[in-house]
Amino acid sequence: METNILYTHKDLVEKSKSGDRNSQYRLYELYVDAMYNISMRMLGIKEDAEDIVQDSFVEAFKNLTSFRYESTFGSWLKRIVINKSINYLKLKKIPVTPLDQHEYHIGEEVSEPVKSNDINKVKNAIKILPDGYRQIISLYLIEGYDHIEIAEILGITVSTSKSQYHRAKKKLIEIVNVL
Amino acid sequence: MDNFEKYITENKHLFDEHKADKSKIWQAIESELEPPKTIRLWKSPLLKIAASILILVGVFSLTNSFIINGFRSGTQNNIVHQELRDIDTYYKDLVSFQVQLVKNNPKLQPQDKEKFLSFMDELDEEYNILKLEMTKNLNNEYILEAIVNNYKKRIELIENLLKQINDSKKSNNNEGYIL
Repeated sequence: METNILYTHKDLVEKSKSGDRNSQYRLYELYVDAMYNISMRMLGIKEDAEDIVQDSFVEAFKNLTSFRYESTFGSWLKRIVINKSINYLKLKKIPVTPLDQHEYHIGEEVSEPVKSNDINKVKNAIKILPDGYRQIISLYLIEGYDHIEIAEILGITVSTSKSQYHRAKKKLIEIVNVL
Repeated sequence: MDNFEKYITENKHLFDEHKADKSKIWQAIESELEPPKTIRLWKSPLLKIAASILILVGVFSLTNSFIINGFRSGTQNNIVHQELRDIDTYYKDLVSFQVQLVKNNPKLQPQDKEKFLSFMDELDEEYNILKLEMTKNLNNEYILEAIVNNYKKRIELIENLLKQINDSKKSNNNEGYIL
């Protein structure tokens, strides 16, 4: 079953590898919205997200021969989008991890409880989270990466990833509670 | 993972709220990609091989008919004919060995191989027709020698093609997309 998932859209991927423009477009159509949303969550600016999505697809199609179904095509592409988004933030000197004391570890401290679960409030709260916090919350809770993967993506240690995540979550709950 | 985190991960699909401007982004992607690959007849290694085989079979049938006719014309050249027949058999075997290599080549897709084999069947039919047609005697040692040289060149061509396939396989293996 797992193998079948890895080979999702294999036919389209194989045809795209040989440069078939129709198959490339069909793959693009299948994944563009998901990729655009990922980039929007990372960057928050429409034009920037569009540029990243564009670059990511170009890179993906140009390097498709190196894709060997070790993951699904979707997660392979997603990683390209995430990496490009992070690089873009670094280039713009936007901190991808908040600079304040991120070497200090915060244990499993009990945060303020959430007053009400309202997905719209959470969505709005994530949007207004400071840069760095927003990315780590998105990577962990929405994109589904674990701390080892996040550490790799952001170029930080696993413990920094964990502590940053806890800070970000605390901040997120604070915002949700005042919205 | 606490309830707040679970609530977010369970509803993460609701975070995909943006719609990408598909046509605008695709236009930009397409302009950065190379023009679609048009498969030129002589650029395809498979067709090159097939064409070489076609010529080989043609040449082979020609040689065969010369030999047969040579035998018919008398016994004075029997030794020469026997020698030529041996050479012919040697090259025929060599060609079939090369064809086998092509068949076993992992670089070629199964459907390509199937295409290749059906092409070979067609060529066999053509060979039989040619054999029937080639009944006129043009017994000339120099021409036969030239034909043998021609054989050699075709084999060399197939060898080069196989080498190319193997080389491209190697270079593909070397490129890896590092995330």
